Amino acid sequence: MGILSQPIGASHMMVVGAVMFVAGVVCMATKRNALGVLMGVELVLNGANINFVALGSDLLRGDTPYRLGLEGQFVSLFVIVLAAAEAAVALAITLNFYNNHATVDVDRADELKG
Amino acid sequence: MFELIERLQHNTLQVSLPGFQPELAICATIVLLLLGRMLPFTRWIDTLWIALGGTLVALYLARPWQHLAVGTDVAATPLFDGMLQLDTFTIYFRGVLLLFVALFLIFSRLSGIPDREDAVDIYALVLGSTLGMMLMASANHLFVVFMGIEMASVPSYALAGVLKGRRISSEAALKYAIFGAGTAGVMLYGISLLAGALGTLHLPTMVNQLADMPEAEFAMRQTVLLSGGLMLMVGLAFKLSAVPFHFWCPDVFEGAPAEVDAFLSVASKAAALALLVRVAIGFGHVPTSSVAAVDRPTSAVVRTVAFAAQPAVDAPVAAKAADDKAETPATVPVPLAKSRRFMVGLISLLAAVTATFGNLAAYSQTNLKRLLAYSTIAHAGYMMMPVAAALAVVGRDPELARESISAICFYIGTYLFMNLGAFAVVAFVRNETRSEEIRDYAGMIRRSPGLVVCFGIILVSLLGLPPMSGFAAKLLVFKSLVTDPQLYTLLIIGGLNTVLSLVYYLRVVKVMTIDAEPQDRVLPSFSMLTPGGVFITLMTIPVAGLGIWWDPLNVLAQQAVRQLFS
Repeated sequence: MGILSQPIGASHMMVVGAVMFVAGVVCMATKRNALGVLMGVELVLNGANINFVALGSDLLRGDTPYRLGLEGQFVSLFVIVLAAAEAAVALAITLNFYNNHATVDVDRADELKG
Repeated sequence: MFELIERLQHNTLQVSLPGFQPELAICATIVLLLLGRMLPFTRWIDTLWIALGGTLVALYLARPWQHLAVGTDVAATPLFDGMLQLDTFTIYFRGVLLLFVALFLIFSRLSGIPDREDAVDIYALVLGSTLGMMLMASANHLFVVFMGIEMASVPSYALAGVLKGRRISSEAALKYAIFGAGTAGVMLYGISLLAGALGTLHLPTMVNQLADMPEAEFAMRQTVLLSGGLMLMVGLAFKLSAVPFHFWCPDVFEGAPAEVDAFLSVASKAAALALLVRVAIGFGHVPTSSVAAVDRPTSAVVRTVAFAAQPAVDAPVAAKAADDKAETPATVPVPLAKSRRFMVGLISLLAAVTATFGNLAAYSQTNLKRLLAYSTIAHAGYMMMPVAAALAVVGRDPELARESISAICFYIGTYLFMNLGAFAVVAFVRNETRSEEIRDYAGMIRRSPGLVVCFGIILVSLLGLPPMSGFAAKLLVFKSLVTDPQLYTLLIIGGLNTVLSLVYYLRVVKVMTIDAEPQDRVLPSFSMLTPGGVFITLMTIPVAGLGIWWDPLNVLAQQAVRQLFS
């Protein structure tokens, strides 16, 4: 019965990661509020993080020559920190946009075009 | 266990940190700039000198003149257990970036964008971004690829919005930040897929895994590898401003001050190209030297130690026979050949579309910064072409592949002066006329002949007419495309594009020289003897000079690539 009948492994975790990734991309593409778009970015980053943690786990991966090992864990740690830094900058920029335009609607950012 | 720690200590203190000195110098400068605010005496010291001093110290520590000299034999060394690769290519790009930042700091002071309040912030952001770009140029591990792109991008978002009260500036920053964050997320997900399919993030190990993969295994993983590769290219294309991920570029260039545009168009592009070269080599060429085999990443060692009970199954990582020089179609493993073909196709397509779109979109522009933004996009297209060429011939002749990559190095070297000069003109004219519209340049030759002559030379060079340096750069790029029949289409597209770009560059020259002066106001007269004028002249001299006497830069470019594909 494929994936449903197997014991929990990396592929199950990667399904969760893929769902988060797709949710994030859809969120980025459809939300008109800049904060909503940034939330989509967080979802995408954390979807990738789940992949990294799952692929790095020797317990989940089992005995395969394509194990990622500790690299997976340390990448996800760095990404968590980096996502926080990026969110801080992006929120500051959104606030600056709000100060100038009195809105955070990304569709209103239409003065530059051509 | 102790052996591991000892090895790590030796590796970090004796090998990695000495090779990382320029980056450390930049880090120290950033800390000094930020902490300097707390000390009372910094009110009397111009922070420009701290930033400029730090950059020059970093440039001194990088010693490009020493390592790139003909006849020296510096070994390519992996730093931090293969996270970074220190070779002449890294050193060349470090040199270009640091030289550019030093010139940029002087230029931004002359044009007066950083005022007394903001100067520290701007310098810290610029240096922080430069640090990320230096990591990009030396990346040897997909995680460093991601970190480098993020470290270079996040400060750039803030730089784009550095003029706080202006509506379009805040809009540019918002677009840049949201677009950049989105593409970075997609790229990270792609990297996670590649990591899952190949079991490592270390580029040389990845290509070894790919080459040693049994065909049945590869067929199973092909889809994952393909989608991972495409998503990785999304992040790279964003940094390169390649079509279809170029939307941010014209908007950011119009909204941000011309100084920031100069930084983004040269430094960011140079780093992105170096990164593209690294990734392309990483997935298209199996290193034969000890780089991959002897110095395996620590994590792999840690893993082997921690799970010593299990047999070490990751043996395919180990050394591959040194049969690269005589590689024939029969000996190339199928997965590697497919990976190469995929990348040649993808990069050629991106390059062709980017160059054509950039040139076509530049036609209808009325704002000079926007026109230069599209010109930047088109140039990114030209500069990507040799990467495709290198991958197409690497199996047959690594020497030809090296030659192609050296065309990129040369191009970047000339591009630095051309674009810095062009944006310097835009910035100084803006200071005089408060306008960046092309029509406000009408008839400028009557009042400021020196400026117009310099700008004309720069534009003709961007266009690629002899005897300017842009011609030499384009010639080398197109020469690299003659090497393989599958690149001829790309060559034709590149040639046609050069003709296309003729119109809009020369239109600006025509407006400046032939069009009548506006009746309603007096044009400013810009003297070439002011500091700004001297700066523009200093940028124009290499633009013209490197077109006539291009041997020195070409030799440097040749030296820069000599350790690639080995």
